[in-house]
Amino acid sequence: MSLSKPTWNHFGIHQPFPEKQNPVGFYRDSLSSSFLSPVALSLSAAFSHPISSNSANMNALSADEMERFQKLSNSYQSDVQGPLVSTKQSSHSIALDYSNADPTLATKTNALAITHPECRIMKGDGNCGWRAVAFGYFETLFALRDTLRIETEIRRMKSLTTLLERVGLSDSIYEIFVDATEEILNRTHAAIQNGAQDESFLVDAFNEGYCSDAIITHFRILTSAWMKLNPNRYQAFLPMPLNQYCSSRIDPVKTEIDEVGLQALIDGVIEGSGFGVEILYLDRSEGDVVTPHQLSSNNPSGATIRLLYRPGHYDILYPVEPLNMAPIVNLQYGMTSDYSPWDQAALGFDVNSSLMAIPNLMQDTSFGMGAPMSPMPSVSPTPASPFRMSPQQDMYQSPMPTHAPIPPIPVSPPPQIAPPSSAPPPMTSLPSRSSDGPQIRLNPLVMKPNLSRSLPVTTPFKNSPYNQAHFQNSDFEPIHWEPHERR
Amino acid sequence: MGSIKRISKELTELTESPPEGISVELADESNVYEWKVIIEGPEGSPYYESPYSHLTVHVQRTTFLTLLQTTQNGKFLVKLSLPTEYPFKPPTVSFATKIYHPNVTNDEKGSMCLGMLRPDEWKPSSKIAAVLQFARQLLSEPMPDDAVEGRIAEQYKNDRGRYEEVAREWTRKHAC
Repeated sequence: MSLSKPTWNHFGIHQPFPEKQNPVGFYRDSLSSSFLSPVALSLSAAFSHPISSNSANMNALSADEMERFQKLSNSYQSDVQGPLVSTKQSSHSIALDYSNADPTLATKTNALAITHPECRIMKGDGNCGWRAVAFGYFETLFALRDTLRIETEIRRMKSLTTLLERVGLSDSIYEIFVDATEEILNRTHAAIQNGAQDESFLVDAFNEGYCSDAIITHFRILTSAWMKLNPNRYQAFLPMPLNQYCSSRIDPVKTEIDEVGLQALIDGVIEGSGFGVEILYLDRSEGDVVTPHQLSSNNPSGATIRLLYRPGHYDILYPVEPLNMAPIVNLQYGMTSDYSPWDQAALGFDVNSSLMAIPNLMQDTSFGMGAPMSPMPSVSPTPASPFRMSPQQDMYQSPMPTHAPIPPIPVSPPPQIAPPSSAPPPMTSLPSRSSDGPQIRLNPLVMKPNLSRSLPVTTPFKNSPYNQAHFQNSDFEPIHWEPHERR
Repeated sequence: MGSIKRISKELTELTESPPEGISVELADESNVYEWKVIIEGPEGSPYYESPYSHLTVHVQRTTFLTLLQTTQNGKFLVKLSLPTEYPFKPPTVSFATKIYHPNVTNDEKGSMCLGMLRPDEWKPSSKIAAVLQFARQLLSEPMPDDAVEGRIAEQYKNDRGRYEEVAREWTRKHAC
């Protein structure tokens, strides 16, 4: 992927505290990581007033006092709680954080909780971006459950040490960091072979101080070496000479990763694995969804590490799983649109999409048994409609108790019949099933177009139980229909 | 554990090919985290002692420094402590020998904490050898803007002659 200047300008806007312009010298990561949270906003609002009104008093402070404050500020360590890497949790917690915040953020986080239902929170101790990418790398590798690929990765990680040699690091310095990465790769290999159920072994490893520090340091020194060996690619985006940048922003412990550093980390360390990296930016820019950005040139449909960026902080996101959706989707649409010649030849009647939508029809051997083996040239695949009732939905049983008397439900006529201004006349019976168009009342979430913007979502996605609008989704809520409402 | 492996390798390297003016050994053979370092005052600095003045203060040597009586330069005993989190946290450096320097606290601790030794500037890829060379370099070029002894820093900036005189005197008194 090529770096583009406008991209970085875009990022620059979202940096609330440029490091060297922070006059008070707060511990940057911890504050800015919670910068957008309502609590932090209200805190800063509460504090900004007295400070500005007392600015004259601030100036009157003696040099000694100023020095004392500076010392306090320098030694300030915020009390950051929580594990280094959390377990997977619902993204609704992020949406909840912003429910009372800026409406743009509330909208975006709500949409995010649907497209990316799960997240993993990184501790905001200055290493969050590094940790998120490193953890995402191991986790993605584990999720593929391919031991051969891990063996390849072990070889690749070892071969990357030539970068370190070329920038003059000696074996005695870097070996323990490389060892740590290799150790976790080996553990991942073993976990796959032993059929480990989940990635909890990785979470444990990353919450162990030494292991976590060593892997992050390994990724840092690789990034630093990569940048020094490819100065032309990065120098133009740096505010200082590259060597100085590496020694002040990449190499030191607990320095937050910035956009250039992140790009270099992806280029130098992750790219070779074939994984894609996608960052979703949560900010107050226009739009209803977080802004996605691909940081790698790898195929985005392959294994991808997804990060959520809030100014100064990174977490990991997990989208609805398209791989698991695939079988559901293919079964339904394969029946209606993809006919193999074998099927066509075997059938003695007009194959049309309505018939083909009937479940198990193709398995009924009594059909077409005695039919002549003639080709069926007239078959034309019908484009799949998102409104079509899928066989799966046929199995849906009404949540209403059948023994209870069902009152006649007034149903409004289709919009083309009733003029929009007048109230619809109540009807005492359901409209005929044979009328055009679906008789399904669609949850508005299904139709919301921008939900699919951040994902390579295909139409079948909307029929997936991962969709909140699907009745099998644990968060599904039926739409309450009001008689005065029109369809 | 990786940190002991790393420390042992660094110790071996430093004892096999010590940098100029620096020698190291473990304070206690069973503990790799505490090092005893001798830093020689660099030539051209007031911490470098000439052979002539050396003779005049012979009687004031401390017991430890009598071991080193065959050499003439100012020799400073420096204690290097490595945290158990090394190399993810920096070593701490303190002067056991009293020294008149703007960046070393003028108390029984003799601590020095600046530049690469600051916890937030520490790089896990820095070697202990580099730390010690940095400390020695600081004797040649104090950093008055990052001083812990404000008075000495003032003097260093405004009255260099007097500063050098006092530093030389302290070196003769304590470091020879």
